[in-house]
Formats: sequence, C-alpha cells, structure tokens
Amino acid sequence: MKKILVANRGEIALRIMRTIRRMGIRTVAVYSEADRHSPHVVFADEAVCLGAAPSSQSYLNGDKIIAFCKELGVDGIHPGYGFLSENADFAQKVEAAGITFIGPGAEAMRIMGSKLAAKECVKQYNIPMVPGIDQAIEDIVLAKKIAAEVGYPILIKASAGGGGKGMRIVEKEADLEEQMHRAMSEALSAFGDGSVFIEKYVSSPRHVEIQVLADHHGNVVHLFERECSIQRRHQKVVEESPSAILTPEIRKRMGEAAVLVARSCQYTSTGTVEFLMDEKLNFYFLEMNTRLQVEHPVTEMITGIDLVEQQIRIARGEKLSFTQEDLQINGHALELRVYAEDPLNNFLPSIGTLSRYEKPAGAGVRVDDGYEQGMTIPIYYDPMIAKLAVHGKDRTEALQKMREAIAAYTIEGVATTLPFGRFVFDHDAFISGHFDTHFVKNYYTPEKIKEKQKANAALAAVMAIRYWQQRQQQLQPVENRSTSWKRRLSS
Amino acid sequence: MSESPFPGLVKVNDFDFSFTPEEIQSSSLTRRPDGSFHLLYQNQSAIIRLLDTDSSGKKMSVEIEGDIFQVDIKEPLDLMIDKMGFGAGAQKAVKQVKAPMPGLILEIAVTEEQELEEGAKLLILVAMKMENSILLPVKAKIRKLHVKTGQAVEKGQLLVELY
Repeated sequence: MKKILVANRGEIALRIMRTIRRMGIRTVAVYSEADRHSPHVVFADEAVCLGAAPSSQSYLNGDKIIAFCKELGVDGIHPGYGFLSENADFAQKVEAAGITFIGPGAEAMRIMGSKLAAKECVKQYNIPMVPGIDQAIEDIVLAKKIAAEVGYPILIKASAGGGGKGMRIVEKEADLEEQMHRAMSEALSAFGDGSVFIEKYVSSPRHVEIQVLADHHGNVVHLFERECSIQRRHQKVVEESPSAILTPEIRKRMGEAAVLVARSCQYTSTGTVEFLMDEKLNFYFLEMNTRLQVEHPVTEMITGIDLVEQQIRIARGEKLSFTQEDLQINGHALELRVYAEDPLNNFLPSIGTLSRYEKPAGAGVRVDDGYEQGMTIPIYYDPMIAKLAVHGKDRTEALQKMREAIAAYTIEGVATTLPFGRFVFDHDAFISGHFDTHFVKNYYTPEKIKEKQKANAALAAVMAIRYWQQRQQQLQPVENRSTSWKRRLSS
Repeated sequence: MSESPFPGLVKVNDFDFSFTPEEIQSSSLTRRPDGSFHLLYQNQSAIIRLLDTDSSGKKMSVEIEGDIFQVDIKEPLDLMIDKMGFGAGAQKAVKQVKAPMPGLILEIAVTEEQELEEGAKLLILVAMKMENSILLPVKAKIRKLHVKTGQAVEKGQLLVELY
C-alpha cells in the first residue's frame, strides 16, 4: 500500500494518519464543510471535501469516498471507529472497487453485527453466555416460561441493539408483557429490526473486554483485557488495562474464549470481544466489536504494540510477527475520554469555542485529540474532544499520573468530563477496584464536583485578594504623583 | 506603608466568599520562577496561574488544577452599585426564549399568536444526536418565531419572542 485514505474525522483520523505516515505511506484525509480547519485535514498529504456538515452528507457517504479513492489512486481505506467502520456493505463495496478495507471481512462484520447471529455463531465453542434464549422471541407465553427458568430480574435486549436502546430490565412476571412490547417497538424504530431476546439480568455487572488480533494466516492472539465499567448513559468514559480484579487464571480463560470467538467467524484485523462479569468473576460473552475501539490506547501502552500498524500489516497480508507467548503486560494504563459535556448538568453536550486549550505532556502521558485552541466544537458529531491516556509502572503510579495530567489539562469555553475524571480517580471505590457499571448511579452527584470547585474557588479568592492588595500598594505612590501633575496642568 | 484596601466580597464563578483581614493575612503567597503563584492557605498548597486581569485589577482570571476561575473583587461601593442594578433587572418579565446550547431545530411545536401555559413545549433542539425539548418558562402568548425547522442556532440565539 502506498496511499491510505482515512474515512473519519477529528482525533481518530489524526491518530491513524500518524501511524500511516510513520510507516512511510501517504495519507488522504476526508472532511465535511464544518471540519475544514480540523488538524486532521492540515496533517494529511492530501485532503478532499465530502460535502455539507451533517454526517449523512459527508462522512457516511461511502460511494463518494470510494469515488475519491479511485480518482486519487488510493489503495487502502481505514474507517476508524463510528461512521462506516461497522458497515459490512461499505466494506464489501470497497473490496469490490479493488481497494483494501483495513478491517475485518464483510462476513465477519455481518455476523457479529447481529447479537443473535453472533450467539449462534459461537455456540459450538463452549463460550460462557448469560443464561437466556438465543433467538428472537415474540410469544409472551414462551417469554414467561424462559424468564421463570432463568429467574428474575431478566433483561430484554434488541438483537440489533446498542447504546442501551431497546433494553428493558424486568423485575417480575407481571411487568413482562408490557416491557416486551415497549422494547420491541423501541428496537423497531431505532434499528428497523424489532426482534428482541431475553437474558438473565446480572445485577452488579462489570464490563471487561478482550482485544484480539487476527491475521489472514489463521493466527489469532489476544492482547489482554480492558476494564470499561465506568460509564454514563451506557457509554464508556474511563477505561483501564489491566483490570484491577482479574486473576492470571481468569485472564487466560477469557483470552482463550475471545480467541475462539474470533475464530468462530474467521475474523481478521483488530477486534474486541466484550464480556459481562458478575460479582463472583464469572464472565459471559456479550458481543464482538468489529473495529478499532476508542479505548485502544490503554492496550497499546501496556503491550507496546501499535494496533493501527498491526491492522495495516494484516491488511497487507503479513503474518503476525509475535505469538501469544511473546505478549506480556507491562505496567498499568488508564484512559479518560474528554467529552464536551457538562458533568454538573446531567452530562448534556456543552458546545462552544475552545477559547483556551492547553494539554498535558510528559513521559507516560498521551493525548489523542483533534482540536486546537480557538476551534469550535461542531454540533454535528460525537462530542469527544480527546482521549487522555497515561501509563505507569503500576496502578497507583498510573492513577497519580492521571490526576496530574487532568490538573495540567486546561480547557476554557466548554464544560468537559475532566472534573468527572478527577472525581473518579479520587474515589475510594475506583481506587480499591470495587466498582461496577452502576458507579455513576451509586456514587456520583454533581455536588461532589461542586465541593471540589468551591474549595479551589476559595483558594482563587484568597490569591486574588493578596495580589490585588499588593498591586494597590505598588500603585498608590504613582497615582499620587499623577494627581498632582494633573493639578499642575489645570492650574 | 499604607493600610491594605479590603474587599467586602469576592465572587468566584458562581461562588461568593467573604474573608476577615486576619484570614487573608494568615495566607502566604509567593511568585515562582515561571511566573505562576504558590499559595498556602489554611495549610492547603496550591499552584495558581494568573491568566488575565482587567485594568481595575479587581477582575482576574486564574487557573488551579486545570479549572479556570473568574474572580471579581467587590469593594463596598461596588456592592452598592450592583444591588441597585440587580433591583432594576429582577422586575423584568420574560419576553424572549433563547437557545440554551447550539444545535439544530428539529421541530417547532407552536405558532405565532398562540397562547400557552407555563411549561408548554415550544420546539425541539438537537445537539450531538440528543433531542432537547425547549419549554416555555412562563405563561405567555407567542409574538414571533425567530427560527425555522432545520435551522442551526448558536448558544444564546433568540428563538421565540413573547408578548
């Protein structure tokens, strides 16, 4: 490959292009009219405008992207995450146009894109799954029977689901019928597919996922776990690797299970197998994400492997240059997603202009961002400003590095999740490792952030008074002189 | 050396503080080689950067641990002026509804000259794929709609004018 187009925007486009350039390959950026000033456009060797700001007219326009690739002699497309990254039809069209899609094959994407198809596919490999039914269900009588078997509370989930849509927790049989109907109608309107299934609801779940890498020669390895239990609105905000609670024995079993999931669909490239973990550290297969993940930096930091580089090498047909035995966990890594959201106001988007933007730097600190001071955060896309990741020799050191990095990250003009991050990394539950996906619900209130801000505001007030008093004292003689001078003038 | 002037109140973002002269005297402030300040106050240690200050010297923008604070030192006279100003403002009735955040107008639920109760849905504003209902803050009659469906609006932009 001599020229790769990155079909994405902002921080991830920039992060991918950095690796592409390091590998001696030319880069092509795409952008919408709202992103002309974006650093990813400036960074690339070539850039093409896709159209108007809304994603449907720009970053989701696969046909236009392929047409540009042909025009510019592009031989590979990296989709990043979001947008077209999990669109099997797009992947197929790219390959049909004679361009390499840097990601998994369309068939694997299709299977893993449907939760039910995914369950069916991994069935024969003895992967632990949450008790429940692994096919779409409409019949209320049958649903009641299954729910009684697995035991309440149960979870109704949309087969095509994601982001918490079409999901319902049912505590008792009397509520089942109505919740089924609501989940089905929600799934139908959100995904165009109303099929739902039933699982046992794990009440204190942790979200632990395994990174896998697979080449076209049948080699599959895992790059250990990422713990992603700190979420708001069912979306991750804080991730780490390794997990604070996994034993080497469980890690090995989970890794092996993830490798089998990848093998079950002849997976290639990077992928992530997500598991749900209960209080007793039992793990259950949830789904597989067929792309690079936002939280990939923590895996890169503890393994020293550039996942984007591996994706490109695999796409070129190269064999993995290492085996499972070569891989080791080195230290501990944490990531905080810096979103333009107001943690004091229910994490609502906070959009505006970055009137001040100063980021942390230093050994073991990594900031993947796509903005510069003075830029405005567009309303059309995901509100993530940056991924802040740190690496330390152990979890304690990584935590301290993260606290310092947050303190050195100054953003003015929009509210961000940085104060929320500070809350998490200072919280006893997080520090001890005893937390689950209900962390925000159980522990977080905006008042906690307010308290911290008030304490710092008091220090700001004291400093300001002292500084003002000093200046007043310095200024006084000057003022006296100027008054008398004025008096002389007027006389 | 002349007596230090002393403020009646310090506003810092949304917080109000007042200190005794002794409390301020008990603190210790030094300048560091890089131009930032080091404050010790009630044994708390903080590195503070002065980002900006206005000509009066009473308004400052400072940074602590990545948080930015707008400080406004109020002398007794400032407080009196503020009080008078606020007194006039508080009487004003709500005549305008402005956009609380930038976004796209997805739907407009009202028409001009319509009379509505407090809390009635005026329009839906979409920002980053999240839909937000903008409600009428008071019982009122709609004078003029300033936006159309599909229009992008900035934060603070006038959406609806009321009688």
